[in-house]
Amino acid sequence: MTEPLLVLEDIRKNFGAIEALKGVSFSIGKGEVVALLGDNGAGKSTLVKIIAGGHEASSGRMLFEGREYRAKTPAEGKAMGIETVYQDLSLCTNVDVVSNFFMGREITRRVLGIPILDEKAMEREVAKALAEAGTRIPSLRVNVEHLSGGQRQAIELNRFVHWGGKLVLLDEPFAALGVEQTRRGLEMIRHVASQGIGVVIITHIMQQAFQVADRIVVIRQGVVAGDVPTHQTTPDAVIRMITGEALAGTGPAAAKR
Amino acid sequence: MTPRTRRGIEFVLDNLVWFMLLFVLIVFSTFVPNYFQLGIFANIIEASSVLGVLSIGLSLVIIAGHMDLSVESVAALSAMAVGILFCSAGIGIGVQLQPEWLAVPVSLLVAITVGGLVGLLNGFLIVRMKMNAFIITLASFIWVRGLVVAVSGGRSAQDLAPAIRWFGIQRVLGLPLTAWIAVSCFIVFSVLMAKTPYGRHLKMIGGNETATYRAGIRVARNLVIAFVLAGAIAGLAGWLLTVRTSGATANLGVGLLFNAFAAVVIGGVSLKGGVGSLPGVYAGVLLLSSINTAINLMGLPANFTQVIHGLLVLAAVMLDTLKQSVRRRLA
Repeated sequence: MTEPLLVLEDIRKNFGAIEALKGVSFSIGKGEVVALLGDNGAGKSTLVKIIAGGHEASSGRMLFEGREYRAKTPAEGKAMGIETVYQDLSLCTNVDVVSNFFMGREITRRVLGIPILDEKAMEREVAKALAEAGTRIPSLRVNVEHLSGGQRQAIELNRFVHWGGKLVLLDEPFAALGVEQTRRGLEMIRHVASQGIGVVIITHIMQQAFQVADRIVVIRQGVVAGDVPTHQTTPDAVIRMITGEALAGTGPAAAKR
Repeated sequence: MTPRTRRGIEFVLDNLVWFMLLFVLIVFSTFVPNYFQLGIFANIIEASSVLGVLSIGLSLVIIAGHMDLSVESVAALSAMAVGILFCSAGIGIGVQLQPEWLAVPVSLLVAITVGGLVGLLNGFLIVRMKMNAFIITLASFIWVRGLVVAVSGGRSAQDLAPAIRWFGIQRVLGLPLTAWIAVSCFIVFSVLMAKTPYGRHLKMIGGNETATYRAGIRVARNLVIAFVLAGAIAGLAGWLLTVRTSGATANLGVGLLFNAFAAVVIGGVSLKGGVGSLPGVYAGVLLLSSINTAINLMGLPANFTQVIHGLLVLAAVMLDTLKQSVRRRLA
């Protein structure tokens, strides 16, 4: 594995008497795509929220780039370069691509002391960022509501990369996308990872996990039930880890330890 | 489709109200006797100045995804405050300032401050206390009008100080200064909405508040400012109202709210928030005003005005739906 970006050590989370996470430990490397699998209620979403700052862990610690990391709010996570990309939650569909890309970070120039939006400079930068990522969007001035789900996701991901994101968490990113768009989305995730960004993707679709991920981490009943490099396992083995037919740590992963 | 035709169609869609206005003016000029005169056009602009200014504030709040029903009453309260202070007859106490022109900035300040304060209260309750904008501003609509009636005792103030009155009489290029004030308000706020980060943020908040919050935009602060601006602009509209009528009555401006809503909707602002621009709203205001003028010139009973305004709002909403589907095909 490459240099670790985020290390989770014995993360626990209680909601009252319910123990959602019972000591989760794994790590994500720079430029690595980790697929997080598990049945409904296994604790995947809770874990992702703890990483991004939506929840705080009850105990355990996280190391981000070698330093102790703990986010109390999503804003704190974001400031560190960790962000969840939710579908349609982080774009304003009523404005154009450029406005979305620069949301809250607009380039301005002062005219008589009044900040005036520098549209040309912003459009140039967006065009450059999207071209580098290989994303094609017909017009940067078209409102996002007229773009496809795949194009929207491309904008969100590119924006994340452009503003110095280091670890992106994707929760069911292809839930509403067609076959072709999903293929492009998966390609884009590889592209993002190739720039040294860590990617955690939650998905229910085994095929997608095997297409895109370097490593598969299975969460079952609040613990890591399997942590295996994708090329050393099979969908069947992973399904057994999810359903609990195989004991934690068995299967191909056990050989590594 | 070539990029050129696409841009052409988008231009027409973006400025549809202006084309409608042009169309209506051409039709009236052709078929209504005496319509095609500079004086008539000047009159259209002049008659729309109060409604125009009021619509600006309403648009800001609606574009940001909220609602302000109180603007009409706020304008009346500001008008009454100026009327009581600077009118010399009726309930006016006729405050004299030395030099005389000082009455202008002081009265403006009074009107804008009164409006801004009501706006601040609305904004605080809606944004900080997270109460429903419709209910809160409906309450303001009622209590502020009540305050106007209570303060004036139902009576009126007449004979506005000449220094202020001057703005309604003095003409530049055929238009009274009050009309120029309305036009410059539209220019200033159009620039604010289209060219500054603040305006861009308001529009984005109206589109998807969660996204703007997640992007680190100070949503609550921006919204409170929008409500304060709406109140302050309504105050300015009230000032213009006082100047136009040279006084203030307790029922000043009753019914303006609905005309303002009509103008805003015709102008292409969506009540869902996030959509619309101020130049469009101005075109909507002028459109209403030109139709009123035509009705007057044709000698139709004024009662028809309301029917036509209502139909116009319906037409505007239908046109908006049509625009949406054309745009979807463009993308």
